[in-house]
Amino acid sequence: MAELKSAKIYGVPQLDGKYSVVLDMWPLEDPEQNRLYPFYDNMKQGRWTTTKCKKCGYISYPPVVACPNCWGDELEWIDLPKTAKVVSLTETMAGAPLGFDSPLIVAWLGFDKSHPLKHLFVRIINCQAGQLKPGDEVQFVTFEVPSIPIDVKKETKICDRVYYAFEPVKK
Amino acid sequence: MAEKKKACIVGGGTCKFGVRAATIFDMLQEAAHAMSQDIPGLKPKDIDGLIFASTTAGRNSNSLNTAPIVAHRLGIKPSSICVRVDTLCSGSNTAIILATGLIESGISDVVLVCGTEKLNLPQRWESIYMNLMTNDHDWDSAMGLAVPPPFFGMIADAHMKKYGTTKEQMGSVSVTNYAYGFNNPNAQFGGKSLTIDDYLNARTVCDPFGLNDCCPVTDGASAVIIASEERAKAMTNRPLVYIRGTGQVATHGMSAGWPGETLADWPHLKKAGEIAYKAAQITPKDIDVAQTHDCFSISEIVEVEELGFCKKGEGGAFVASGQVKVDGQTPTNTDGGLLAVGHPYGATGARQAVEICKQLQGRALNQVKNAKFGLTHNLSGVCAQHTVVIYGTEPVK
Repeated sequence: MAELKSAKIYGVPQLDGKYSVVLDMWPLEDPEQNRLYPFYDNMKQGRWTTTKCKKCGYISYPPVVACPNCWGDELEWIDLPKTAKVVSLTETMAGAPLGFDSPLIVAWLGFDKSHPLKHLFVRIINCQAGQLKPGDEVQFVTFEVPSIPIDVKKETKICDRVYYAFEPVKK
Repeated sequence: MAEKKKACIVGGGTCKFGVRAATIFDMLQEAAHAMSQDIPGLKPKDIDGLIFASTTAGRNSNSLNTAPIVAHRLGIKPSSICVRVDTLCSGSNTAIILATGLIESGISDVVLVCGTEKLNLPQRWESIYMNLMTNDHDWDSAMGLAVPPPFFGMIADAHMKKYGTTKEQMGSVSVTNYAYGFNNPNAQFGGKSLTIDDYLNARTVCDPFGLNDCCPVTDGASAVIIASEERAKAMTNRPLVYIRGTGQVATHGMSAGWPGETLADWPHLKKAGEIAYKAAQITPKDIDVAQTHDCFSISEIVEVEELGFCKKGEGGAFVASGQVKVDGQTPTNTDGGLLAVGHPYGATGARQAVEICKQLQGRALNQVKNAKFGLTHNLSGVCAQHTVVIYGTEPVK
């Protein structure tokens, strides 16, 4: 087998600098690409939001462009309560997907009866392995993720992006 | 209106499952060869339809419309249907449902259903990274949900808490299925035995799973022939095996839509089973042999409950008491299942169908006595969709 040499270019050199990765790990969040951009704009303000149908009152998650209950398209953005309780969790100590640090802590959350959501799978950050246990309270938190270049007419626009996870509530 | 035709599975075959030095097209040709050995006299020209199941065929071939490529490589010229389906882990079981509908309606006469996946990629990191595409990308995958052990680990945790299921009971699933797979020459873990001590001492993958709770990362391909009763009779002297009923239920694509009260409850599987049983005009107690989707040990425990082989919450005791063994109430995963054979997503449903076909024809390696009704089941992704197909030695009247 040939020895790897740093001077040799592997893969598809023609794409160098054009695409950061084959699979973008994060959503396209800007108005040019996604009609749900208010979700991400709100997240940049620290808000966790979703859509409520003005016609039937159905609250969906994830947010939508047409209501999955009546297919109405008159929707409003509402704020979601930002705390939940851990029902179950797992800690992946090795073998997390590229881009996610180990330990990758994920949890199944349960929400209060007053909350529009019943349960949700989430990533837990700002947390040490072994720190969190079922029954503990966690809260919504945002963080920056890599920006992405997109073409807008003749310009290339750099879109800054955020995403969310949950973190332990300090006791 | 013309009377509905009856659809039969005639036979089939698989390639060797495992870490393969072969492309998806190589493996599909191996599976077609195995199928031709299983159905002597079958010729490519006999086939008028192709339904090809694969999720990652695009990645593995760098091609998009892959069904015509498969048709060309297998030497067939479909004239009624030529299509690829992607329902992830249930791909070829879904294809069997579609083939059944096409045959019952008279659109097709002889359909080749095949499936393949190559999950061991040129570099190991990509196999995990690629799994970020198996969920709703913008929501669950962005939370790091890629390979499924963490999610199914939480299912096991929920089942243990709610129903008292034990690690030893989960171990009995793995030990049983490795024993079934021991004499399967095409199983990834063929020839490999597993004791309960081996199981309990295996390295941890993620709590509460050890290595043998999880199916391996597998390359493979499988192929079966679904044909009208008339064409099936002309193709084989073996007893006919009829497709009696099917059900497929999808309730959500993202975790917020999970349909159960807890992760231990899978109402979408219960519903898929009920639909299939009703169509097949039988009940769970009539099933003589089953192939369920044991992607993890806990999966089989939940599945024998939701499919009605035992009461809800008693799946752990059911499997541990030997009811899934060849002389038990409902022998399950008799060729080794996903745990021992491996799980190349799109190939698994047809592999299960081959085993049920052999069981109902009385020629399986781990033969269940006088098997008249068989069932296959797959779940897709992180339990987003359930697919059930029921077979019998007699058609629905």
